[in-house]
Amino acid sequence: MEFTFSLQKLAAYQPRQTQKSKATYETGLALLESGGYASKGEEGWDTMEKLTLAALDQGNLEVADKCIQLLADKFPDSPRVDVLTGIRLEASEPPETVLRYYDDLLEADSTNAAVWRRKAHVLRHSGKIERAVEELSAMLDTFYTEIDGWLELADIYASCHQHTYALQALSHALLLSPQNPAYFLQYAETAYLAEDVPLALKTFLQTVDMTDDDDGDLAPSDSIPIGITLRAWYGVKLCTRKFITEPRSASHSASQTAAPNTSNVSLLDDLSTERLRTAYLNLKSESPPAGEADLIAALATLVK
Amino acid sequence: MSSSTVSLYLDPQIRDWVLFPITVVMILVGILRHYVVLLLQSPSKKLPRNAIREQRALVRSQILRATSANSPLPPTYYKAISQHLSHAFAEGTYLKDGPPKADAPASAPPNPLTDPNAMDGMMAGMKTQMVMMVPQMVIMGWINFFFQGFVLIKLPFPLTLGFKSMLQRGVETPDMDVRWVSSLSWYFLNFFGLNGLYRLILGGENAADSSRDMTTPFAAASAAPQPGQAQDYNKLFKAERDNLEFSEGLHSWIAKDVDTRILKKYGRLPADAK
Repeated sequence: MEFTFSLQKLAAYQPRQTQKSKATYETGLALLESGGYASKGEEGWDTMEKLTLAALDQGNLEVADKCIQLLADKFPDSPRVDVLTGIRLEASEPPETVLRYYDDLLEADSTNAAVWRRKAHVLRHSGKIERAVEELSAMLDTFYTEIDGWLELADIYASCHQHTYALQALSHALLLSPQNPAYFLQYAETAYLAEDVPLALKTFLQTVDMTDDDDGDLAPSDSIPIGITLRAWYGVKLCTRKFITEPRSASHSASQTAAPNTSNVSLLDDLSTERLRTAYLNLKSESPPAGEADLIAALATLVK
Repeated sequence: MSSSTVSLYLDPQIRDWVLFPITVVMILVGILRHYVVLLLQSPSKKLPRNAIREQRALVRSQILRATSANSPLPPTYYKAISQHLSHAFAEGTYLKDGPPKADAPASAPPNPLTDPNAMDGMMAGMKTQMVMMVPQMVIMGWINFFFQGFVLIKLPFPLTLGFKSMLQRGVETPDMDVRWVSSLSWYFLNFFGLNGLYRLILGGENAADSSRDMTTPFAAASAAPQPGQAQDYNKLFKAERDNLEFSEGLHSWIAKDVDTRILKKYGRLPADAK
């Protein structure tokens, strides 16, 4: 199980310059130079894998090559090392070479989902979005339970403004992990973008229901929304505004979701305004702007 | 019965040349067996992609069904997915060999003896069995031939007469103290008792312990995907369609009346209002 998980993590890897990767790089490098990785057993080899990725983050291909060489010597024929090598190739080689490498891997073992996802990833980044979607869908058809794959698919669709398709991809992620409020929030936001406002409102509210701290000592109405809850409240506010300013949007729902009745909408509008004000007061320690539009604009920067 | 304490003297040579050798040989054979089994184990064959797809299609619909009572999805999306799956099952899209032909006769499950994959699985089981049986038979023969009727050791604690048949197998004496252990019994004690030692030496997942195979013969064979009962996925899919339809009826969206729920929670609506 752990092995599958590591493969999934590798499959989702994307280069990024963070403080953490720098720290990993430095500690890993020290270990590599002192040669202490071999005596540490599994942990040492794990560190080497992390160092490879961190080195790629930092653009230091030499170190990455050294680590991959070590890992490949230690674990020949390991799919994990194969994927790692692929990631290393992505850093310097043209997409065609990398794709050929991945194709060869898939030829040898067509069941390696991680390689498949990397391939879709490369395709996406070399601009062949259509092929990427095709590959990713084919992979998800076989390996349905790869949540990250569904999220990536949704991301690709969203980047092309295909919000309805993105919504469909996200709904699979929700099915696979219905306990994760982050997916609900993303689902709601995508629904909002797909102009399915009633669905968006309900899902935003669901997110609020899942994330607000209703086990604490405070009554929910006294708590201060933060993080994901605040973002969901912001979404609620946007939806209710839309209902009030454009009543037509309430009946326009691709999913045939019934909007809440008018009195509930205005109550929700009040409630979300009050919630947002509380949050603003808490974050900025100054009284929130009076106008509705101003409040929304001010919070737009806060919920980012 | 004070005489029983001094009634029997064991030659120390018995200890050095019989007791220890038997124990050591059994431990070594167990370790050897572990490595031989490792060598014999053919790497588990990877399923081709379409076979995996076929297997996992059911999981897919199970995931969908599991959520249906408190579904995160609004009814339209749920129905779309459910009906898509049901349709695909009816068409046989997920079958390994593609949709069945309309005029094809209902195929009987394939004979496991003709399927090379199935044969591999059975052979692996047989091989493990052989590796277990042969050395144990040899050791037992060795003990029976050379040390039959030997008394090897005296247990340091008293036991009731009930243990006599267990501890003095091969020595037919009616009145010897039960604490004396015969060679054959010593073999059996080791046979069943060395598992803990193997676990210490070889780790938890070792193949050295023969008594485990003894209790469940052909365990290795049955642990492999049972080839004899190759599953007819087409039938399974057809059954799954009914299940899907059933859960579709049970579907209820958790966010259905979340607006009133939230308003009540935040005190904007009276708690008993519907």
